[in-house]
Amino acid sequence: MARIPGRRLFRFPRRSTAQVAADVEAELLFHLDMVTEELVRQGWAREAARFEAARRFGDVEGTKRYCRALDERKETRMRWTEGLKEIGQDLRYAGRQLWKSPGFTLVAVLTLALGTGATTAIFSIVQGVLLQPLPFKEPERLVRAYQVVDGQPDTFSVLNFLDWRAQSKSTAAAAAIDSTTLNLTGEGGEPERLRGVAVSASFFSVLGVQPLAGRTFAPDEDRAGAPRVTVISEDLWRRRFGADPGVVGRPVTLSGQPYTVIGILADEHRYPDKIDLWIPFELSEAETRPDNRGALYLDGIARLAPGVSIEQADAEADAIGRRLAQQYPESNTGYSFGVASLQEDIVGDVRTPLFILLGAVVFVLLIACVNVANLLLVRAAAREGEVAVRAALGASRARIVRQLLTESLTLAVVGGALGAVLASWLIRMLVVLAPDRIPRLEEVGLNAPVLLFTLGVTLLTGFLFGLVPALQASRPDLQETLKEGTRGTRGRAGSRARGALVVVETALAVILLAGAGLLIRSFDKLQRVELGFRPEGAVTFSLSLPRAKYEEDSQIRAFAASLMESMKQLPGVTAAGAVYPLPLSGTTFTISFEVEGRPKGRPGEEPAMRVALVTPDYYRTMGIPLLRGRVFTERDRKDSPRVAILTQSAARQYFPGEDPLGKKIVLGWNVDGVFQGGEVVGIVGDFKQSTIEGEPEPEIFLPYEQTSVGALAVVLRSDQDPAAVAAAVRREVRRLDPDLPLYNLQTLEELVGKSVSRPRFYMLLLGLFAAIALLLAAIGIYGVISYTVRQRTQEIGIRMALGATQRRVLGMVVRQGLLLALLGSVVGLAGALVMTRGMANLLYGVSSTDPATLAGVGLVLLLVAAFASYLPARRAAEIEPQLAIRGE
Amino acid sequence: MDLMQGTVAVLILKTLSWGAMHGYDISRWIRQRTEGVLGLEDAALYQALHRLEKKGWIEAEWGLSENNRRAKFYRLTEEGRGELQLEATNWRRYAEAVFKVLETA
Repeated sequence: MARIPGRRLFRFPRRSTAQVAADVEAELLFHLDMVTEELVRQGWAREAARFEAARRFGDVEGTKRYCRALDERKETRMRWTEGLKEIGQDLRYAGRQLWKSPGFTLVAVLTLALGTGATTAIFSIVQGVLLQPLPFKEPERLVRAYQVVDGQPDTFSVLNFLDWRAQSKSTAAAAAIDSTTLNLTGEGGEPERLRGVAVSASFFSVLGVQPLAGRTFAPDEDRAGAPRVTVISEDLWRRRFGADPGVVGRPVTLSGQPYTVIGILADEHRYPDKIDLWIPFELSEAETRPDNRGALYLDGIARLAPGVSIEQADAEADAIGRRLAQQYPESNTGYSFGVASLQEDIVGDVRTPLFILLGAVVFVLLIACVNVANLLLVRAAAREGEVAVRAALGASRARIVRQLLTESLTLAVVGGALGAVLASWLIRMLVVLAPDRIPRLEEVGLNAPVLLFTLGVTLLTGFLFGLVPALQASRPDLQETLKEGTRGTRGRAGSRARGALVVVETALAVILLAGAGLLIRSFDKLQRVELGFRPEGAVTFSLSLPRAKYEEDSQIRAFAASLMESMKQLPGVTAAGAVYPLPLSGTTFTISFEVEGRPKGRPGEEPAMRVALVTPDYYRTMGIPLLRGRVFTERDRKDSPRVAILTQSAARQYFPGEDPLGKKIVLGWNVDGVFQGGEVVGIVGDFKQSTIEGEPEPEIFLPYEQTSVGALAVVLRSDQDPAAVAAAVRREVRRLDPDLPLYNLQTLEELVGKSVSRPRFYMLLLGLFAAIALLLAAIGIYGVISYTVRQRTQEIGIRMALGATQRRVLGMVVRQGLLLALLGSVVGLAGALVMTRGMANLLYGVSSTDPATLAGVGLVLLLVAAFASYLPARRAAEIEPQLAIRGE
Repeated sequence: MDLMQGTVAVLILKTLSWGAMHGYDISRWIRQRTEGVLGLEDAALYQALHRLEKKGWIEAEWGLSENNRRAKFYRLTEEGRGELQLEATNWRRYAEAVFKVLETA
């Protein structure tokens, strides 16, 4: 390579636009001047020579423009390549640094993985359940329609629904939904009871879904007499039909009747939740009889007409409802109709608790960030020397900060990636353990929005915990630090930052602990609630008798009788009874009634209470006490005088000051022209009927013998192991009717447990987060105190040499930790008082500002902080004064 | 004579193979070597120089000329050397081929 003549000047990188232009100008000017000189030497006059030089050159301005543009593009490209190179350098350097201190890196990465993983997992549930729109066509135009009873959404009667649908102009299409259970028999397996719905033929087009295979209902398939068809769910198809594509078009036997499978619906399109199959809702004579306008049992969905808002549709529904109330006062007085967003209807219940959980897990993430930030601060202090050298070599502060941030971001990204892996595992676990009543769980997963969230959170946390240490470490008092052994001012400022961070994380941990503590106390109260019956040592199962086989009442009664007889004979069974509906099963029936001899209530104002059917031994089996009178006996048969039993709250509410025994009650329930009801012969104790949290409501019981329905739940009290009882029960039922599936076979304790499954789930999760937060906070306190002890070794040594005892040193250090914890606790408790108010409706029997819980939380934290400080304190107390003063 | 497309680049590259030069020297050199036959317009030369610099075949540095003036010096890069070889070979082949056709008159 030839040498460049003359002296070399530095080439400056990164020229601005102005510099580029100046350079081009200078280059061309040089050439023109040289040509001018040459011409002058040849005899030209200077001015003429200049002109001639420019002429000979060609298009000077054009060339300048061309070269400028070219050079500017080159500069831009160079800037980019250099920038990338720098980032590459930073990354490699960061990688080396992190690799050199494996302990620190491991702890930081694991802490971050824990925080981001948990946050991602909870967010994926929030996203899948609450944020994601429903998987139907234009889901925001879907509404749930309902009848409004006593100001609450309730179910329609057939006639009311039909009238509303006909008169509603703000809905383009509507479909009715009736819950039903169907027994599947055959198909090479045990008879199985399936959850199904009978729906209008327009149901699937209202939702706007296409089946996975086959077709959905044709418009006339819900008319009386239409051939029996069914659409099955994908879940049922896989579970029961082995995902056989040939199932479409095949007949299956449901409750003794043949149905043709016409289609399979994908699981994500399932509505209502967890339904196994859909059959058309047949409008029969009985349903459209005018005096059945008061029988409420239909749900409804609808699609809004274009351009109509939910509020408008709701207002119109209300108007229609009022009109009908005037038209049909006996059945519709006080009732109205309404519509509400379908998504809201499905997920409204779980919105608050899920967001609370998300908030809680974000707290955990913040605490994790604080710990990592503290680790970085400590590390930054140790690397002061290296940073000072780099600054002296010419690195700008911005460059140093950028390089340190790259380290933090690398940590964050590695932690985040690990966290995503952890999250996928956590999500699977949560979905399996989550209580049934959390909807849309099959839509939860590590999908694109969630991963995007993870990325965002990762980068944000990287900045969060990296910025302060980076700024701290690059501060320009480098002269000091280049001298050896100086830890003065920087150390103090750093320790203030660390202390502040510990106070913050302690406060966050206290808030989480308060929330968890409240949920735990609330759950505890729930568990201790007086049920009114004895759940221990009892087993229950349910049966649904298909009408095809058990058409006559007498058949039902005969079956029930032989069933109860054989149940009582089972080994170990001390009592057996049956009931419908089973308490705490989610099904209740309410009926209006009159007391004979009292004036009839005005339409819309008749008293109503719950009703259930029981066999004679039911109360004894359940352990429900008989307070007055008698229970039903074998002598209360179909043709005997009709009798009834009331609960105590019914007696108190409807017969204040009188004796209910002997009074006759008539229910608004008409079977074959006969109104049900009877003479009150007994009063039993109250018990929880629908929810554990709710109060027992007035209830009336009728003998199963006198008013049969095709369903019952059997309760057995046995001193044997439940598994053995279960096996024996299955054998017996199969013997009596091999086509009859029994379902919900469980112990009474399990049944009770299920009804608190949601509060239990929230409590466990929040408790887990609080425990993690407490652990992280303890580690944080330990770390800070530990470091302080190391920093102040000299000082402690001097103190000890001057006469301070070991105990005093111990006390001094522990007090330091306690001070931080106390500060954090005060801030945290104040925060908790504000924040736990949002949890108020998740709590049972405990106020959101329960002082005992808050005090307990504060105490727990102080104890933990004391312990976390004790360990380094002990080390401090064991310092040898001589060694310390010498400055080891 | 006017230059044909693409010749400027190879001329510049070859010129710089003798050593680093600034634009004025390159222009003089080419004029001398072709004994004035090839008239290379200076505007075109400078545009070509900047193009070649952007392509990475030549690189530039500011230095002082013989008369102590600040000037932009160009020199060949490694890639430029390789490109020169390539172009020179192509040119020779091209010229020989045309010559052969012309010779068989």
